[in-house]
Amino acid sequence: MALLETRRLSKSFGGLRAIHDLDIDVEAGTIHGLIGPNGSGKSTFFNLVSGVYPPDPGSSITFAGTDVTKSPPHAIAKLGMARTFQLLRLFSEMTVLQNVMVGYHTHVPYSLLGTLVNSPRTRRIDARITEEMSELLEIIGLAEYADMPAAELSGGQRRLLALGRAMATRPKLLMLDEPAAGLSPVNVDNLLSIVMALKDRYGLTLLIVEHILKVVMDTCDRVTVLDHGEKIGEGSPTEVKDDPAVVEAYLGQEMDDEEVRQAMQA
Amino acid sequence: MNLLLAPFRGLVDFFQALARIHRIVPWLVAYVFLLPLPEILSATGNDYYIYLTNRILIFILLSVGLNIVKGFCGQVTVGHIGLYAIGAVTSSLLAINYGWPFWAAMPAAVVVTGLAGIIIGLPSVRLEGAYLALATLGLGESVRIMIAVTPALGSSTGIMLIPPPQVGSFVFDDFQKYYYLVMTAAMIGIYLSFSILRSATGRAFMAIREDVIAASVHGINVPANKLLAFVISALYAGAAGALFAHMPPGFIHHNNFTIIEMVTLLLMVVMGGIGHIWGGVIGAIIVYIIYDNTLEFYHIQPLTFGLIMVLLVVFMPQGIGGVIDRYLVTKRFVKLREEKSDGAA
Repeated sequence: MALLETRRLSKSFGGLRAIHDLDIDVEAGTIHGLIGPNGSGKSTFFNLVSGVYPPDPGSSITFAGTDVTKSPPHAIAKLGMARTFQLLRLFSEMTVLQNVMVGYHTHVPYSLLGTLVNSPRTRRIDARITEEMSELLEIIGLAEYADMPAAELSGGQRRLLALGRAMATRPKLLMLDEPAAGLSPVNVDNLLSIVMALKDRYGLTLLIVEHILKVVMDTCDRVTVLDHGEKIGEGSPTEVKDDPAVVEAYLGQEMDDEEVRQAMQA
Repeated sequence: MNLLLAPFRGLVDFFQALARIHRIVPWLVAYVFLLPLPEILSATGNDYYIYLTNRILIFILLSVGLNIVKGFCGQVTVGHIGLYAIGAVTSSLLAINYGWPFWAAMPAAVVVTGLAGIIIGLPSVRLEGAYLALATLGLGESVRIMIAVTPALGSSTGIMLIPPPQVGSFVFDDFQKYYYLVMTAAMIGIYLSFSILRSATGRAFMAIREDVIAASVHGINVPANKLLAFVISALYAGAAGALFAHMPPGFIHHNNFTIIEMVTLLLMVVMGGIGHIWGGVIGAIIVYIIYDNTLEFYHIQPLTFGLIMVLLVVFMPQGIGGVIDRYLVTKRFVKLREEKSDGAA
């Protein structure tokens, strides 16, 4: 059974069908790519699966064997799903360390009462969390900025922090929404190597939305192509690249000489 | 600016050094420092200053509580004075009608106010920003109107002869004795707010303020934590209300809980620094002194306070506390850069 399964997943905004009858299986341990032109429903898919939007009736989402179709986001996160956002949505007034510590929230084992009396146990746990989180910051290379507000970081560092914050939830499935957008080629490689290191270390399953084809081609085991909210292709990166339906969606229909001539006259 | 903040910086260093001995030490030192304050004030020959200090300490409790829900959790509530009123009325009625001692009436008032906090907080599950402000304003003001029209709750005459707290034969019946009580309460309140805000719960509150959606997908139960913030701040308001009611001369009136008081309280939090733990304290001291010294201009007071608040939000959105924070962060950042360039050289 796949880690994440959607069946007949649909979402309409008014008259606009953003996602329509989508069946996707993300197998545990794989890197699954999700590509498609702008407006094809990739981000909507993320929002549906992570519980940010409620799906339309008739849809079903199963994650790690649990039906999460109607679950709120925090309950889904608790089951082991983490995601990043295209626009990052960092907690900018909080420090870098606090940002990742929020990610760890579901695993904090003490109660508010323990906090109030500031019991030795609470302090021990807090010290351990801080240590673990510092280690995570070490891996993503932001350790020295731990006490800076997240707003002070550069664009590339912010992307890394968003990744680290998602990782702090100790996820089974990590969903990355355009993790490399706006990065220079060097930084893209850097980011990819960090993602791969994290995947190996924590045994992650990855679902990646990306426009930079190099990222998808280099890393993904399996790719799903969306267009207008529907699946138009699925397979290994090479299969998908040569699929005529995919090429058409991305580049438009090929025209023969006669059609080009008519189009120019018109 | 550096010159202005230098003494503050020295104070911070001093207390940080104390905290290294044990985390409770700075609090004890501050407590001991503050104990002789009424003696110093009574040297002026005017008990009124001690009364003023007591009022400030009660407002510190209120504004520290309000800072938790507004500053840290980001929920704009204008109903806080209503909770303060509930705490005051509950405690005084229990004491007068049922003869409860202060030490039983106050905790009961705190619990009742906490429950009322859930009701004031409920709109936050659905509403945001100005809409939430309006909903909480309505709830808070309806508490006052309810008091004003119900004879059993004091109505237009107010509640009189509320007995002062008593330990054995020691009665907290003058301003100086009462000072020890409210000062202790304010210190405990500030200390607890530090504990809460430095914990996972505090981080959850801040995450909700910064970005609700990001907070929820990282496992934070947003509605539950919003309500929790409202309840915690209500507990503060309940304690402040009870302390206010039992303070000599033991008289409360619904005019103590008007929208003007709410604006004053908001100004304290905004001026002191939203989301800055000391902000509520700094703001309460400054604003209350200004408020008290301009009572003769009562007809333009709300207007002026409102105007100051607008100007603050535009030109100094982080308040005084924010400016200090900024200064400390910049200093740390510069130091980090220097260390880095030293390492490279």
